[in-house]
Amino acid sequence: MQALLVFLAIAALSLLASSRTLLDPSRFPGVAQLAASGLLFLVFGALLGPGQIGVLSVADLDGLRPVLALGLGTAGVILGLNLEPRLLRLLPRPVFSAALAHAGVAFLFVAVPLSGALVLTTRLPLPAAVGGAALLGAAASLSSGHFAVLGYRSGRMERSRGLGVALLTMLDDGVGLGVLALALVLGAAASPTEGLGLVSLALLLGMLCGGLLAFLTYALKDPAELVAVALGGVALVAGAAAYLRVSVLLAGVACGATLALVGGRAVGQVARALGRFERPTYLVLVFLAGCHLQARDKEAWLLLPGYVALRFLGKILGGRLAHRLVANALDLPPRLGLALIAQGGLAVCLVVEYLLLVPGELSQHIFDVVALGAVINEVLARRAFRQVLESHRAAPRSAA
Amino acid sequence: MTGAIVRLGLLVVLLAGITRVQVWRVDTGTSVMLAAGALLLCGLFAGKVAKGVGLPRLTGYLLVGVVVGPYALGFIPGAGVKGLELVKGLAVSLIALVAGTELHLGLIRRVGIKVAVLCAAVCGVTFVVCFGAVFALKPVLPFLAAMTVPQALAVSALVSTVVVSFSPTVTIAIVQETQARGPFTEFLMALVIIGDLFVMVAFALAAGITKASFGGGFDVQGLLGGVGWELFGSVAVGGLLALALLVYMKRVNRELPLFLVGLCFAAAEGGARLHLSPLMVALSAGALIANLDERESQRVHHAIQLAGLPVFALFFAAAGAGLKLDTLVTVGPAALLLVVVRAVAIHLSCRRFAPPEDPRLRRYLWMGLISQAGVTFGLAALVARTFPDFGPQVEVLIVAMITTHELVGPVLTRKALERSGETRGDERPHVA
Repeated sequence: MQALLVFLAIAALSLLASSRTLLDPSRFPGVAQLAASGLLFLVFGALLGPGQIGVLSVADLDGLRPVLALGLGTAGVILGLNLEPRLLRLLPRPVFSAALAHAGVAFLFVAVPLSGALVLTTRLPLPAAVGGAALLGAAASLSSGHFAVLGYRSGRMERSRGLGVALLTMLDDGVGLGVLALALVLGAAASPTEGLGLVSLALLLGMLCGGLLAFLTYALKDPAELVAVALGGVALVAGAAAYLRVSVLLAGVACGATLALVGGRAVGQVARALGRFERPTYLVLVFLAGCHLQARDKEAWLLLPGYVALRFLGKILGGRLAHRLVANALDLPPRLGLALIAQGGLAVCLVVEYLLLVPGELSQHIFDVVALGAVINEVLARRAFRQVLESHRAAPRSAA
Repeated sequence: MTGAIVRLGLLVVLLAGITRVQVWRVDTGTSVMLAAGALLLCGLFAGKVAKGVGLPRLTGYLLVGVVVGPYALGFIPGAGVKGLELVKGLAVSLIALVAGTELHLGLIRRVGIKVAVLCAAVCGVTFVVCFGAVFALKPVLPFLAAMTVPQALAVSALVSTVVVSFSPTVTIAIVQETQARGPFTEFLMALVIIGDLFVMVAFALAAGITKASFGGGFDVQGLLGGVGWELFGSVAVGGLLALALLVYMKRVNRELPLFLVGLCFAAAEGGARLHLSPLMVALSAGALIANLDERESQRVHHAIQLAGLPVFALFFAAAGAGLKLDTLVTVGPAALLLVVVRAVAIHLSCRRFAPPEDPRLRRYLWMGLISQAGVTFGLAALVARTFPDFGPQVEVLIVAMITTHELVGPVLTRKALERSGETRGDERPHVA
């Protein structure tokens, strides 16, 4: 029954989210923005979940774990497929330095101060507080390039600059995933050695599935068969990771990256096949993640302003540093930091994965802060990006 | 075909590896998505292998499900297979929606009465023969042995109505696979669909009589209400779905395969919750669309062919994985006897009562009626739930019969269609 409920809820929300009235930015700018990024579903999930109205109970969410795993697996495989080794090799080194700079500065700006705040507010032992803060930093380090993409597609931003921002935001995913892996090594098992074994198992599983998927899709010509194999491959890697209780996201990324490395001609076809299901899967994933939000989590509300403000500062300063590092290799807008405020769905994926694998009070706080922060950052990002566009318009005039 | 065998072998090796790791990682999580992914991929490549050796793809899906499922190699956990019930409902609805789009008024006018008469004859003869066989097995079957004669007669009637049922799902899937078109195919499809309606009504009557024989009283009003709601309620809800689909196609018209999957999912889940027949709901929706708007019905047909392959492969592989091979050991002889008796009854009644103007019907129609799948499973489960004293044992017997029918039925159905000369080869791999 819960599956039917979720289906009906998502169908109704999809209709609502495609309403022209609701999507009119002049009438409801914030709502339109959240609907476009999909984070509106996070809000709906939070409202309908057990933490608020309770349309879905905790037992329902447990029953829907396979769907959540599929969503995380799909997100991971798509991320991994984007790690095209041939393209990455073509990028100049300063691009990687710049991506690391903006992600790293935001990470440090959030992780270091919040370690202390977590110790004071939650009375956690120091290692646990540092681990939790590191994960908050990892989520904070992530940026989404969707505003830049929309900007150059609508002609409001030069294509080269939009692509530059999108490239930097794509590369920062590595920081987030790396910290998630570290957090799981430390927290997902009784000892760090066992934790390392579980993370390695996830990566090995992903690589095996990626290699197998590449072999299965080789020489497949029929589009329907290709879609079926792509879907089956994602379900297999996500399902195997969920069954063995290791990270679905990391296994998915390893699968996608392996496929991109050895998949040859079929990679593009698999990516296109998965692309057809990306949006609906993402919306379901974000909705289900939202259902896990505990809006009455006082500690999360206390940490939230600090998290958002520190991330904002970190991104502004990290953006400046990145701009300086990559100025000769990549065309970027002058106020790069403001273009990096949008956070996107991966941050939510990271923390929901942590919540599932290391359940507890700390992971719930982290999830709540990041999920609420993602919504606030999305609204902030719209205003911030407008500043980028204005400075972009002003630049040619001053140059003239 | 060698490539498909190698790929299938590698998949099985990976699954075996995961099972080995699971031994080390005792505290496992949910296995539903693992079952879905593994069965879908194994099903697809097993279908290719089956096609390579001249069998229906569907048999490949079923067999690989049996092999990797919990009752043979055990690479797929039982909980995972059970969690795929949603997919089963979805597949039945998709298949029925496609079948519905074939039910034009012209066809019903042309063959409707002949099909109904033949169906009544086949179902009637098969019921009588199976009823006699089940009652004769009273001393052997543990659940019948202790009953009084009237009770044993009522239970035999109940079991026989379930035993009579056909499998529209398998028939339609094989028709899709072979792209069979023609009067023989139309007759066969109409027969299995109408046969289901007959069985539904007969089952409700037999269940009422059985309840009465065990002292529960004969509730005629409740009986008629239940049957009426299941039949007419399903048609009404199917009509609403058809209208919703037509409105969507006229107004929105984006991502039709995804929308159809969603609609069929809602039909399957909602129908089951409302005690409707998901098969009838989707069938009547398809029939209404076909008769209201031929162009849109063609689009639905095409869209389901695109979205259908993963769903069908997964559905039949999961059905195979769910077949309890161990039941064959416990009630095997009795089940095999009933399988033979049923087949002979269907064969003889088709020979005797099929319309004489088409000799193919008399010769080959019986082969298309042997399969049993979802409907029979559903009725067996209903018996187990309604009569907890003896129902679970009846369920075991019927599941053993279904296991046999699932393995031979698709092959016979394909053979019937091939011998009728109405198949058009299997050139398009994207259908079941």
